[in-house]
Amino acid sequence: MAPDHTPTPPLVFTPRPSAPPPPSTVGVMGWLRANLFSSVPNTILTFLGAYILYVFLEAIISWALINAVWEAPNRRACLDAVGRSGACWPGVIAWLPNLIYGLYPKDQVWRIDLGALILVLWALPLFLPRVKSKIAIGLTAVLVYPFLVSYLFLGGEKGWIWMVLVAGSLATFFWVWLTAISEMRTGLPFLALLVRTLAGPDPIPERARLVRQLAWAALFVTALVIVSRWQLVEVPTRLWGGLFLTMVISGIGITFSLPAGVMLALGRRSSMPLIRGFCVAFIELFRSVPLITILFMFNTMLPLFLPVGVEVDRLLRAIVAVCLFAAAYMAEIVRGGLQAIPKGQYEAAAAMGLGYWQSTTLIILPQALKIMIPAIVGNFIGLFKDTTLVSIIGLFDMLSMARAVGEDTRWLGLFIEPFFFITMIYFVFCFAMSQYSMNLERRLGGGQRR
Amino acid sequence: MSSSTSTAPPRASFLNDAGVRAFVYQAAVFLAVTGLFYYLISNTITNMSQRNMSAGFDFLDVSAGFNIAFTLIPYREGDSYLRVFQVGIANTLLVAVIGIVFATIIGLIVGLARLSTNWLIATLARWYIEVLRNTPLLLQIIAWYFGVFNLLPRPRESIDWGGLFFLNNRGFYMPGPVPQEGFGWTLAALLVAILGAVLIVTWSNRRRRATGRIFPGGTVATALIILLPLAVFYGSGAPLTWDWPTLRGFNFVGGISVPPAFCALVVALSIYTSCFIAEIVRAGIQSVAHGQTEAARALGVKPSRTMRFIILPQAMRVIIPPLISQYLNLTKNSSLAIAIGFPDLVSVWMNTSLNQSGRAIPIVAMTMAFYCVVSLAVSGLLNLYNRRMQLTER
Repeated sequence: MAPDHTPTPPLVFTPRPSAPPPPSTVGVMGWLRANLFSSVPNTILTFLGAYILYVFLEAIISWALINAVWEAPNRRACLDAVGRSGACWPGVIAWLPNLIYGLYPKDQVWRIDLGALILVLWALPLFLPRVKSKIAIGLTAVLVYPFLVSYLFLGGEKGWIWMVLVAGSLATFFWVWLTAISEMRTGLPFLALLVRTLAGPDPIPERARLVRQLAWAALFVTALVIVSRWQLVEVPTRLWGGLFLTMVISGIGITFSLPAGVMLALGRRSSMPLIRGFCVAFIELFRSVPLITILFMFNTMLPLFLPVGVEVDRLLRAIVAVCLFAAAYMAEIVRGGLQAIPKGQYEAAAAMGLGYWQSTTLIILPQALKIMIPAIVGNFIGLFKDTTLVSIIGLFDMLSMARAVGEDTRWLGLFIEPFFFITMIYFVFCFAMSQYSMNLERRLGGGQRR
Repeated sequence: MSSSTSTAPPRASFLNDAGVRAFVYQAAVFLAVTGLFYYLISNTITNMSQRNMSAGFDFLDVSAGFNIAFTLIPYREGDSYLRVFQVGIANTLLVAVIGIVFATIIGLIVGLARLSTNWLIATLARWYIEVLRNTPLLLQIIAWYFGVFNLLPRPRESIDWGGLFFLNNRGFYMPGPVPQEGFGWTLAALLVAILGAVLIVTWSNRRRRATGRIFPGGTVATALIILLPLAVFYGSGAPLTWDWPTLRGFNFVGGISVPPAFCALVVALSIYTSCFIAEIVRAGIQSVAHGQTEAARALGVKPSRTMRFIILPQAMRVIIPPLISQYLNLTKNSSLAIAIGFPDLVSVWMNTSLNQSGRAIPIVAMTMAFYCVVSLAVSGLLNLYNRRMQLTER
């Protein structure tokens, strides 16, 4: 047989395409099979769960939407129309302004809206991508904004102290937006940009400082001119209420509790026995009693503690109590963060020649606070929920307002609907906060993940 | 100056000496705090003398003169303020204990459901937790009270469970046991049985650790606790009768009854706290590395024993401390009872008694002392537990 000269093709392994996965493990059916119907008990559980979900959703939807009454002059009309099988929303709608603003005078409500708008505007640069001075802006939002807004809400006669504080606060607000705009357009903070345009790219430090001071002075004078032109009607705090009051109390509590908690935690870890003793006593006392007892205590005892004739506003008593309570809890959270920082960090900071405050503020606290973000936000959520307790000592927060609906003669006995409504408000706020903290944790934790 | 050589370190300024600074700071803080207290106390004394108030504890023997809607321990209208304080503590502790039991049971179930491989069950559990823990407890308590327990039918149309338990807008009614003569023997038997059970469990654990042989200590102990008192009970002629709640006139009489405020408080507290407990249980079980289960299986340990001897002890170490602090939170939160008029400590003592007697300082101090004692005692026990359970690190 003649040798076949045609060269045999080299043996090449050509893989056959892999078989598709069995249809029972992919797609909707596969997912259903794996997650809902993997075994007999699992299937039973699925049906049980589906039944519970159905009963629950059906009840809620038919009560809140399908059978609900949307327009009625009073509760009697609602009851005549659907009885108890449907919600009576007109009561909630009629009371909506009170649920949100409390008894704040109707013609002054724009001040609350303006305050909220300024907060949004103040915090907006924090979410803009090219703004670099986020820490400074964030700090001013927490530390400076309250002065502006507290005058806006309180109103009344301005003394010169108020005037200066409010003008300074407004000037800072201008600075925030000028900085945000200049950083987005040129990448430089506003003041640095101003220094460069007026004093050249490499100015002598004295001149640079002069430019900065003049810029601040100009901002301040502008603000002062604006501020001196408005005079707002005084709204006494006993008229404050609703969601607005809830926000005020929890906002002040949050603002105060973080720095105070940090100081208390540092004091508790201090090597000086007396300072440590005071901090431990304060923290343990406020953490071991319920908030309501502290509120009661301040409500009855604060007038006794102060000199004869000094009247303390009811709202102020509640705010003091909430702040101290929140600070004690925050201190324990921060302490947890401080303890989680490895000893090497302290030692390295000391080896670099940093003193106590430098190593604490530059090395330790940034790391500690980053670890504690979930717990800190959790504490904020707790504080926000706990502000409902002020209704017990007679302030008209959102919960008191919701209870007042059912005591209104037109809507007598209407309790479930307003409760349902404010439950949803509380839930939206708290849930948003907790989701945001998870998001923050994921973004900041990037360096920790391996 | 010239005498300082390179061997002797340059003398630091007196102001930079750490010891001196520490002393100065502490002295400053001490003076500030003392000054603050002096200021507050002197103001208080002036204020109190102006308003003719007194700070003494002598009012404790005075008759309080008001009635309390629900008391665990006997109380009559003429009893002293001290008795009111005791009634308040008893009611607070009752709510706390019952709430803790229910919260633990619900929390355990929801926590396990959250870990379920069944997607629907896990999702339901997740949303149960999210919704309930993101709304204020006070709102929940009030909603349960006004929205549920106050809208129940009147006593005549009570919700009836087998003629034993009744639920209506006046409260919850159940049969109450009335011990007859000789019932003490059963109680004694129960005590002996519990003691014996503890001994058996300790002994079997010790033997297991020493020899590896397993004795069903748990089963035997449970049997002992159930069977011994039962035997004594019937042996002594079943000396116990029941007081049945019966409808008479407009309401039920007899049996044990609790007011709607109590029901609302317990339900709201247990449901709210159960969310936190569920998350603790989930975190605890997830904290045990899966390798532990696999290692146990590789060694041939039975699944039931894997859970009992390997997973649970490790999970418990993570679960117990936050669980206890949730129990403490529940106890403190029970003070919200005041919003719905249940007579707990804060409500009868810090509110009613304070308003009646005007003795703000002793009353506030006693209330705070009670909560401080409870929470310091619990955290002391917890520290003891933590020290025992702490992992010994290399």
